[in-house]
Amino acid sequence: MELLPVLVLNGLVWGLIVALIALGLSIIFGLLDFINVAHGDFFMVGAVLAWVLIDTTGNFWIAFAIVPVIGLIAGSLIERGVLRPVENSASLSIVASFGLSLILQEGVRATYGATPKRILDPIGVTFPMFGINYEFYRLFAAGVSVIAIGGFFLFLHRTKFGTWMRAVRQDREIAVAMGVPSDRIFMVTFGLGTALAMLGGVVAAPLTSVEFRLGLDVLPLCFIAVIIGGLGNLPGTAVAAVLLSVMEGFIMSFAEPTTARIVSLILMSVMLLMRPQGLFTKVTA
Amino acid sequence: MIRAAALLAAAFAAPLVLVDYQLVFVAEILIWGLFALSFGLVYGFGGMLSFAQALFFGMGCYGFNLATYKYSMGTWGAIGLGITAAMLFAIPTGYIATRVRQHHFLIVTVILSVLTSAVLASGHWRWIAGPYVTRSLPFVPTVAIGPWEFSFGSEIFTFYFTVVMVGIAVWLAWRLVSSPFGKALVAIRDNEHRAELIGLNVNRLRWLMFTFAAGIAGFSGTLYVLLARYTNLEFFDWTYSGKAVVAAIVGGASSLAGPFAGMAFYLVTTEHLSRYFQQFAILFGVLLLVVVRFAPDGLYVTLARWLREAMRALRTGSRAA
Repeated sequence: MELLPVLVLNGLVWGLIVALIALGLSIIFGLLDFINVAHGDFFMVGAVLAWVLIDTTGNFWIAFAIVPVIGLIAGSLIERGVLRPVENSASLSIVASFGLSLILQEGVRATYGATPKRILDPIGVTFPMFGINYEFYRLFAAGVSVIAIGGFFLFLHRTKFGTWMRAVRQDREIAVAMGVPSDRIFMVTFGLGTALAMLGGVVAAPLTSVEFRLGLDVLPLCFIAVIIGGLGNLPGTAVAAVLLSVMEGFIMSFAEPTTARIVSLILMSVMLLMRPQGLFTKVTA
Repeated sequence: MIRAAALLAAAFAAPLVLVDYQLVFVAEILIWGLFALSFGLVYGFGGMLSFAQALFFGMGCYGFNLATYKYSMGTWGAIGLGITAAMLFAIPTGYIATRVRQHHFLIVTVILSVLTSAVLASGHWRWIAGPYVTRSLPFVPTVAIGPWEFSFGSEIFTFYFTVVMVGIAVWLAWRLVSSPFGKALVAIRDNEHRAELIGLNVNRLRWLMFTFAAGIAGFSGTLYVLLARYTNLEFFDWTYSGKAVVAAIVGGASSLAGPFAGMAFYLVTTEHLSRYFQQFAILFGVLLLVVVRFAPDGLYVTLARWLREAMRALRTGSRAA
């Protein structure tokens, strides 16, 4: 049984990374009404690409800089080329993204292999905290996630493109009538969502083992965060992801990990039944 | 009627043409197709996008194992207990899930699945999972029909048994969706508000359909144990539900034949062709994207429409000549 503060802190770090991924899911979900089952796999591809880039260049920071850009480009192209015909139909979006998810998972398995691999701590500094040597990288990962989330909200509220995105979400027809290029918005939204997931993948890569099934565990967590935070409520999504993870860390300090997972899931279900509109009152984001 | 008779005739003639392992493969398609049908019932007729169907498939296996391992029941009793277990489990879970709508419904079913898998996988509650979740049957099951005793060691008997059982389930499902209850559900799916205004108890009807579909999923679970003689914790996983979702939608979720067509497409491409080409799953992913692009109503519905149009074109063509 580890110390309570360490587990809660680990929960916070992991929760911030999940928040990053869930935000990506939420903008795709909220704006395009697209249930993206492949979102967890984009996270996985981010981690795998990080491993590959570190393996070839020996430098974590190159991966850190390049992978989100790849995500942005790949996501935009996929939306434009493949997913556009099935948008606005929940069931077809599930089938299409399931196909995408198969392509990503099996593609990674065929090229990268099925064995889990690990990445060395890219900073490699530990410092004493709460009586143990805490890895500095975890704090760095949390910091990156906070900056990325903050940057994303700035983009959404302080730039023309972000305003357009919010406008299209609020009322697509009126936005189009006002001259907002909604097709381009959809493309960039999917690209941004994918970039966030892949950034999450790079940041999380040194903290877990990297394999082609990595996305399967993250996806339900992200969906739960999106719904608990309130559908379309972006700050709510981020807070819900962190809350979920911290709560699990907290329970883990006196119970075993599966019990922690079970208790937090039960709490989530109760919350969902009592407040189906989400934990937080609707904020237009 | 004619179509059903033709299907039956084809099913009974199949062992004359197919070899043993192909018979088992067809039986497998029928069983997983029945599983996909259980999703088709909740989604195609009830409008509920459920990711919990695997839970009930798993509960069917669980009930079967419980019956044969703990209570040493025969095959009929085990099938009965499997269906009962699935439906009993659906009563509370369905009650919770049907209170919410659309995306929330989907998430609640995902949460329920993850939750159940976590409980069953946990070492803490070993007594719940017991030996009933992951198990290889140590014996070849037999079934008594009248005074005769048949063994599932025979592929031909297993095939016929599966065909008859799946046929009964489909017949029940057909009776259900063409009953006033089925019509009421379709009304709810199409316009919930209006359905409520004409006096339908929306939540209770959805709950009933959820439970009935769970029984169908549990039934397919018990049939699977009889065929494959093993069960796995994996069967409870929400990704298994995902297979039913994809197969049913690809085939056409709002017809009874669609889920079978979709599951046949899924299994033939992934399981069968991957023997010849290892990375076939990638190609299957591409195929899915093609299907949603060109046959958004589902393969079965689209093919049926094409056939009808081709027939009409032929007929008018011959008349013109």
